[in-house]
Amino acid sequence: MTAIAPPVAGAHRTRARTDRRRQGWVRRAPLLPALVFTIIVTQLPFLVTLYYSLESWSLVRPGSQHFVGFGNYADVFKDSQFRTTALNTVIMTVGSVLIAMVLGVLLALLLDRKFLGRGVVRTLLITPFLVMPVGAALLWKTTMFDPTFGIVNFILRPFGIGHFDWLSSLPLGSVMIEMIWQWTPFMMLLVLAGLQSQPKDILEAASCDGARPFAIFRELTLPHLRRYIELGVVLGAIYVVNDFDAVYMMTQGGPGISSANLPFYIYQRAFLGFQVGQAAAMGVVVVVATIIVATFALRLIFTSFSGTEQAA
Amino acid sequence: MSADSMTAQPGPATAEPAYAGPRARRRNNSLTWGIVGWVVGILFFFPVLWMVLTSFKTEAQAYTNTPTLIFSPTLSQYKTVFSSGLWPYVANSAFATIVSTILVLALATPCAFALSLRPVKKTRDVLFFFISTKMLPVVAAIIPIYIAARDLHMLDNIFTLVILYTAMNLPIAVWMMRSFFLEVPGELLEAAEMDGAPLRRTVVEVILPLVAPGLAATALICCIFSWNEFFFAVNLTATRAATVPVFLVGFISSEGLYFAQLAAAATVATLPVVLAGWVAQRQLVRGLSFGAIK
Amino acid sequence: MAEVTYDHATCIYPGAERPAVNALDLAIGDGEFVVMVGPSGCGKTTALRMLAGLEEIDDGSIRIDGKDMVGVPSRERDIAMVFQNYALYPSKTVGENMGFALKMQGVDSGERARRVREAARLLDLEDFLDRKPRNLSGGQRQRVAMGRAIVREPKVFCMDEPLSNLDAQLRVSTRTQIAELQRRLAVTTVYVTHDQVEAMTMGDRVAVMRLGQLQQFTSPTELYDRPANVFVASFIGSPAMNRFDGVLESGGVRAGNALLRPSDQQLHAAQGHGKLVVGIRPEHLSVGGSGELTVKVALVEDLGSDSFIYGSLADDAGSSIIVRSGREHPRPGEVIKVGVDASHLHLFDADSGERVGD
Repeated sequence: MTAIAPPVAGAHRTRARTDRRRQGWVRRAPLLPALVFTIIVTQLPFLVTLYYSLESWSLVRPGSQHFVGFGNYADVFKDSQFRTTALNTVIMTVGSVLIAMVLGVLLALLLDRKFLGRGVVRTLLITPFLVMPVGAALLWKTTMFDPTFGIVNFILRPFGIGHFDWLSSLPLGSVMIEMIWQWTPFMMLLVLAGLQSQPKDILEAASCDGARPFAIFRELTLPHLRRYIELGVVLGAIYVVNDFDAVYMMTQGGPGISSANLPFYIYQRAFLGFQVGQAAAMGVVVVVATIIVATFALRLIFTSFSGTEQAA
Repeated sequence: MSADSMTAQPGPATAEPAYAGPRARRRNNSLTWGIVGWVVGILFFFPVLWMVLTSFKTEAQAYTNTPTLIFSPTLSQYKTVFSSGLWPYVANSAFATIVSTILVLALATPCAFALSLRPVKKTRDVLFFFISTKMLPVVAAIIPIYIAARDLHMLDNIFTLVILYTAMNLPIAVWMMRSFFLEVPGELLEAAEMDGAPLRRTVVEVILPLVAPGLAATALICCIFSWNEFFFAVNLTATRAATVPVFLVGFISSEGLYFAQLAAAATVATLPVVLAGWVAQRQLVRGLSFGAIK
Repeated sequence: MAEVTYDHATCIYPGAERPAVNALDLAIGDGEFVVMVGPSGCGKTTALRMLAGLEEIDDGSIRIDGKDMVGVPSRERDIAMVFQNYALYPSKTVGENMGFALKMQGVDSGERARRVREAARLLDLEDFLDRKPRNLSGGQRQRVAMGRAIVREPKVFCMDEPLSNLDAQLRVSTRTQIAELQRRLAVTTVYVTHDQVEAMTMGDRVAVMRLGQLQQFTSPTELYDRPANVFVASFIGSPAMNRFDGVLESGGVRAGNALLRPSDQQLHAAQGHGKLVVGIRPEHLSVGGSGELTVKVALVEDLGSDSFIYGSLADDAGSSIIVRSGREHPRPGEVIKVGVDASHLHLFDADSGERVGD
């Protein structure tokens, strides 16, 4: 009896192991198409970009490629224009995202209250997000910011401003205003989700405990909103950092490069200057910088969002 | 408490005369918020409103120092826009948007399913990977993509855009669908299993109906991003596969900066998505807030 | 510590057909423990929230310590409320939760810490002061909610079904704790529940409500022995009081085939009331005895100490009757004779439901 038992048990064990492994693959199968597709379409180009960045190559002179190692990278770091546009990108991203978030919080607080026609107002407030970015940029450039015929100057005339040339005198600011206009609805909706997910009895308890409305907001609502604000800031930053349309349409990066951001500058190098190697190197630098910042930021989303799942 | 034929009911209080006493003494401070709300709403919406108004003006009316609010509308700008070969661009945009969105849903739904209802090891890593593809600046990848498209003779080909838009929207779709799948109560799956349903049937008959609103929301968001996309379109298309954003930009260069005409062109270009967003507002709100606001 | 007076207090939601709370009159003494009880929709929670300032007082008034609270916001009423789902502040620790109200009052941190520690000791929460609510069990959260109220030393405690989310055993032990605590602190307490056992065991006086209207407001014993109408009679007491249709005859009240003999005072008061409802509690019926009623036994619930016989009157299969019995009891299917303790008969007018006689 005992002699027979161990081999049977062993066979069971190996069969169980192969079963589990097959189970694992069955579970993974639905993942694969999306994963494989994304890897091919996004990672391959990046690897190729890496390769190009090590070559000097001008698109107008086919066959002129030659290996220069890290020469392109040296040029990039020496390029003062690159530094300027990098700074512009940072200012643009941080400024637009933060201001859009603050406005978004205020608007969400407004929409959280009941009033007549609240639904219509919400529709109105969502619209900037839906408008085609090139269309919105065009709109702001012409009908809003035009020095003579734009409506912004008309409204500011009583305040003595009148003939201000927004796009020339305040290029970065003008582009930022347009970006803030487009991204505030997104922030607003995320924060509104946060506000509506807060249980009402907690607010009532605070009221009974003697807290005035602003104290309730500061002590209870804001901590609760933290994870929604973080998500909004991270997602918004991802999109704004890459925003090409606004700069292209409104100022073409000008005057000079005062309103150029990194996507636009790289585009200029690649498609207008045909300097593929240099553009590629710049792209890689931007990617590395983004990864560093992103790793830090992603930890934030994950702690925030896995927190939601635990609490649910 | 038992209520039977022999035992009496607890009293006749239900048959009362209608209440005729004082009504609610409630204060109506929703008026101030209403005013603030409407002012802010109109302020934010104003640029769009102004664009639409301008599109009905003549150039002379548009180019005035003091903006004209009262004017007799004309459709001449729209006539110009529609007669400048708009329709092929619309067809291209529609094709790229719809096909890429269908592809995205087809790929993202099983993927999100695997990541939520049947957790795989390294779920976090996969999610991280997906969102990281959005963080890599598109500009870094555009050169090889352009060269690859050129070498494969895929330049000015609508399918190039379809593929790129799918890759562009897939991460967001996976994240959104996952959040909707997470809302499905686990007990439903267990109940279906106990009822003897094979997994595929459970998914189709039990789960999909529940996440259908989420699917709609994700589809809407993907459509918005695809229709509005400019960078890939302008760099990878020329005449045959150009989309509406490219048309809009082209309209300017050829016609110069004519406000009223541009307003009309911009209105036409943005109208489909704005309308879709308004009509399916609930879906949009759900999608953008990852399923949190219904 | 303060007196609380509801004076014709009314609350009606916009668009509703009838008020949620209709002209409620209650005079609650300083330090008294009052329980508001009734089925769902009766208005008890709304009445409590009106006191706390979380619902509007649309008509009449509510006075705390003589001061009218109409138009006064919650934060100025000096009321501590314990919510049904505890409403603990999720981003704050237990200690911060309990000290929050003091912080809002501007009490300095040293004094705050002292008072929080004292309350924590009372409630056995000292080890949890640094934990966040999500890391606590249901019972612990309930104690934190209580602690948050106690620390404030307010004029009134408002409690909205604080035990309903606890499991049965915990409910019983916490019930006694709350009652003890209230006795010790002597703070006027208004407590809402749908559980009549809680009402009977905890309250100095109990207000029974139904559809927004007060049915009776008196001590538990009074409620039990002398319910003011049929609703109170059937709501209070478990298992419920038996009720029969009855008709006044000379010398007694005829219910079905039996002639029941209430007291002379009751008979006298019943004159002029055509149809009556006769009530008798299960423990005032006995197997055998004078045997006025014939009962067919349907089922018997044996609870160990005693048992309850569920059945119907032999001549009316649709009726139901519950008789309390001892450990020895008949079996289902048997037909038994049941005696009525006439000194514990209740009479109610069949139309108005109001009590007739003593």
